[in-house]
Amino acid sequence: MTQGNRTVPASIEEMAAALDATGYISDRGLSTALFISLTIRKPLLLEGEAGVGKTEAAKAVARILQAPLIRLQCYEGLDIAHAVYEWNYTRQLLHIRAAQDGDVDEAELFGPKFLIRRPLLEAISSPDAPVLLIDEIDRADEEFEAFLLEVLSDFQVTIPELGTVTATTRPYVILTSNRTRELHDALKRRCLFHWIGHPTLEREIEIVSRHVPEAAAGLAAQAAAVVAGLRGSDLAKPPGVAETIDWTQALVALGRRELDIDTVEDTLGAVLKYREDVEAVRDQTLAELVAQARAG
Amino acid sequence: MPAKPPIRHFVTFGRALRAAGLEVGPRRIADAICALEAVNLAQQEDVYWALRTTLVSRFEELEIFDSAFAAWFLRVAVRPVLRPVPTVPPPYGRLGRTPAPAGGTEVDGGEREVGSYSTEELLRHKDFSKMTREEFEQTRRWIAAAAITRPRRRSRRLRADRRGRSLHLRGLVRASLASGGDPIRCAYRGPAYKPRKLVLILDVSGSMEAYSRALLLFLHATLSSGRGVETFVFGTHLTRLTAELATRDPETALSAAALKVNDWSGGTRIGDSLKAYNDEWGRRALTRGSVTVIMSDGLERGDDKPVDREMARLARQAFAVVWVNPLKGDPRYEATAAGMRAALPHVDRLIAGHNVASLERLATVLEGISRRHAA
Repeated sequence: MTQGNRTVPASIEEMAAALDATGYISDRGLSTALFISLTIRKPLLLEGEAGVGKTEAAKAVARILQAPLIRLQCYEGLDIAHAVYEWNYTRQLLHIRAAQDGDVDEAELFGPKFLIRRPLLEAISSPDAPVLLIDEIDRADEEFEAFLLEVLSDFQVTIPELGTVTATTRPYVILTSNRTRELHDALKRRCLFHWIGHPTLEREIEIVSRHVPEAAAGLAAQAAAVVAGLRGSDLAKPPGVAETIDWTQALVALGRRELDIDTVEDTLGAVLKYREDVEAVRDQTLAELVAQARAG
Repeated sequence: MPAKPPIRHFVTFGRALRAAGLEVGPRRIADAICALEAVNLAQQEDVYWALRTTLVSRFEELEIFDSAFAAWFLRVAVRPVLRPVPTVPPPYGRLGRTPAPAGGTEVDGGEREVGSYSTEELLRHKDFSKMTREEFEQTRRWIAAAAITRPRRRSRRLRADRRGRSLHLRGLVRASLASGGDPIRCAYRGPAYKPRKLVLILDVSGSMEAYSRALLLFLHATLSSGRGVETFVFGTHLTRLTAELATRDPETALSAAALKVNDWSGGTRIGDSLKAYNDEWGRRALTRGSVTVIMSDGLERGDDKPVDREMARLARQAFAVVWVNPLKGDPRYEATAAGMRAALPHVDRLIAGHNVASLERLATVLEGISRRHAA
């Protein structure tokens, strides 16, 4: 297996600068984790609350490496047919019918022509090293995790009818997890680990301004401050950065240049997704947070 | 490339982390050293992140790592990073008096002699709180047997099934090869079933003391029914026991559980405990799609409003909520306790759970739950 190396940033500083250039604002910790993962060619497991930018980080890496991004979205019940390969049965049937006299070459029938490549096989058989994003691995079943373990250690898959496909180049692998369940130790052993927390206020303002450039300078800061305050309250589902961005976009769409309590209450649905959470902050907390944000 | 890091120093650091409970094997150490070669060792922050990325593998370990790093590289005086080990087993009631594992009548692999059918049947219906130790010992394997059944869910996958409804194309292609491409015999696929997630939350407060041992045995046996079972206990606060109870031998498991929980036979705070569960585990989607079983007498010491709120949260996420209340074993029982009254509207099924027969009933109910909120 060749390494199929792409040009990887040479230092943490270069990594951070490259991430920044793609529009992804990272911190030192994440830059270091990504840098090390690319340098020592080891899969990186990114964990963190929903909406802190785990998937976006993988997309940014693909842009930096100018590599195709192959994404495998995990879900309960994900199986080999959706993750690795499947035979194109309809085509096979047509082919058999077309051959008429029964002279069907089975080797041809179960050959590459009739194979549908799903993300994992595609990542392995790709001639240039792609970035393989295995998204929300915690949602897949444990049996699938065990299978993935095999793929990640040998970078090969076996198709009974075709034989073993070994990777020509080694993909850059990033896994994300929302920590809905504990992953298997064996899988973790194959991976580097980085926990992405909620960003600091300054960084969040920067991220929001970058994503919603049309927002007035003060608005992004105020929105970020209110969201940071909400995270400090006792909520069922604290908002992530993605919510801050959505909310700021909503505020811009309403033509607001500054927060006021009425607008905040009207648009709260962009930030808090649970009725209990909305009710918990509506009376007291929200007014205080908005007042603080306007003052700050 | 920067100079080789003082390998020995980092290896020893890895060992210290292992002593503190992190899973740091040779492979991780090797990764750490590779990572350190790639970063500037003069930059303390980079060394920190390089080591953290390679040596830590779960969120819970971050704090241990941070204090170990501070002590090791920054020479900060910190409290020892060793895992807290309780020195004195906390006192608790019935559970602590571990009975002798087996009576003299048991032969290797054989079963203890039990009474005739009718005495057996009587014992099945006898309230756990009124049993003698010998009687309880006899019921143990019935409890374990009852706990094996699991609620099921439809898998997204289909499997070959002659009575299935959708076409099994793969099988069809294979079969038609024999007949020159004419699909003469159709192959079908039908749904496959998998065990559904099961969450058991047991009240071990004082008022439940007479039942908590039997129910804990039930919890232990459920864990051996396969993956996807999580167990918790609570008195004044919530403790996750899945890891402790996962040991095969029930006595070892119960002792491990006894060490972990420090509010046996104390007060009850159902609302707060359920909130802790919802916040920590419900948010991580453990409840979603699961059958959640709460085992409690519903005697809430505090306010019953939180019980109502948290049960509502739970019920919205769970596939079904089953409440096991040993007090219901009494035919005259009425849900008068404030906590129970608050919880009832959110409960799909209320079951007694005061004797073996009712636990078997629980098993039947769990097995039969097939529609959301239709326990």
